[in-house]
Amino acid sequence: MDQVRNLLDRPRLYYNIDGLGDLGGGVMCLGFALILWLLMRSPADSVWHQISVLVMFGLALLIRYGTKAVKTRITYPRTGFVEYRKRQTQVIAAAGGVLATAGMAMVFRQHWDISMVACLTGLAFAAAYGYYFARAVRWKWVIVGTMAVASLVTAFLPADILGDLGSEVPAHPDRAKPLGTILLSLMVYGVLLLISGGVSLWVYLRHTQPPAQEGQ
Amino acid sequence: MNQQIRTIADLDRVIHEPGRLMIAALLFAVDRADFLYLQHETAMNKGTLSSHLSRLEEAGYVAVTKTYRGKVPQTLLCLTGAGRKAFEQYRRNLKKAL
Repeated sequence: MDQVRNLLDRPRLYYNIDGLGDLGGGVMCLGFALILWLLMRSPADSVWHQISVLVMFGLALLIRYGTKAVKTRITYPRTGFVEYRKRQTQVIAAAGGVLATAGMAMVFRQHWDISMVACLTGLAFAAAYGYYFARAVRWKWVIVGTMAVASLVTAFLPADILGDLGSEVPAHPDRAKPLGTILLSLMVYGVLLLISGGVSLWVYLRHTQPPAQEGQ
Repeated sequence: MNQQIRTIADLDRVIHEPGRLMIAALLFAVDRADFLYLQHETAMNKGTLSSHLSRLEEAGYVAVTKTYRGKVPQTLLCLTGAGRKAFEQYRRNLKKAL
């Protein structure tokens, strides 16, 4: 029965066989970090504050359709095309959205320490990443370990370092540490995901060849 | 014959063959996939994979669609409703038998 279970899991693991899932996640984290940094450093009346949500939405669309385009050109001709079950994907996306919203609402209502929340979120993300990706690709446990360590280090960094990172124009001292924590977490996770995705893509391209044009 | 042995005898022979079980399980988890994907995941050669797919198609478990990806012919495969039911039933029976 375990072998049947493994077979049922394989299409899910196939999604990230080329590392594009990681690369997309990395670009998303670094993109959001850049947007946040620009928001912090630009005056409140700048046009940037009005279009930032649109830019985030545009970035998400770019990643979604960019990934699709790369898969169509690289992955499908080499190792085949898969269309995932739409209902499953929608349920996962909806559950993720509800959990994230509920979590954010809880954090702001209860005034929790953002460093600890970022640390716990990071550890949960590292665990999920390990469960979904590192089980199939062993070297990704290094990424999982680094994510976990980075989350813990971020939580215990001195407040003045995080405050410097999150300083705004004009200054809001009470928001500096939370913003610094979020910015640092996004940057660390973005870089780790880019490294992981880049290595995966390199390994994938090295070990697969596009088939002769005779049909699939 | 006790109940457990009867359950083993009731296993769907079309799906029970290891090659076809791999194909059915892989297709069960997705909406559809192409021939190349199945070949990559099962590590079967084209002839063996085609023959298993023909058997599943004859049983009405797999639907085959021939199409093109750009100028390249592409064979898309998906489990039919009967195929999904048969696979679920097979898993239930296998669980009981074990």
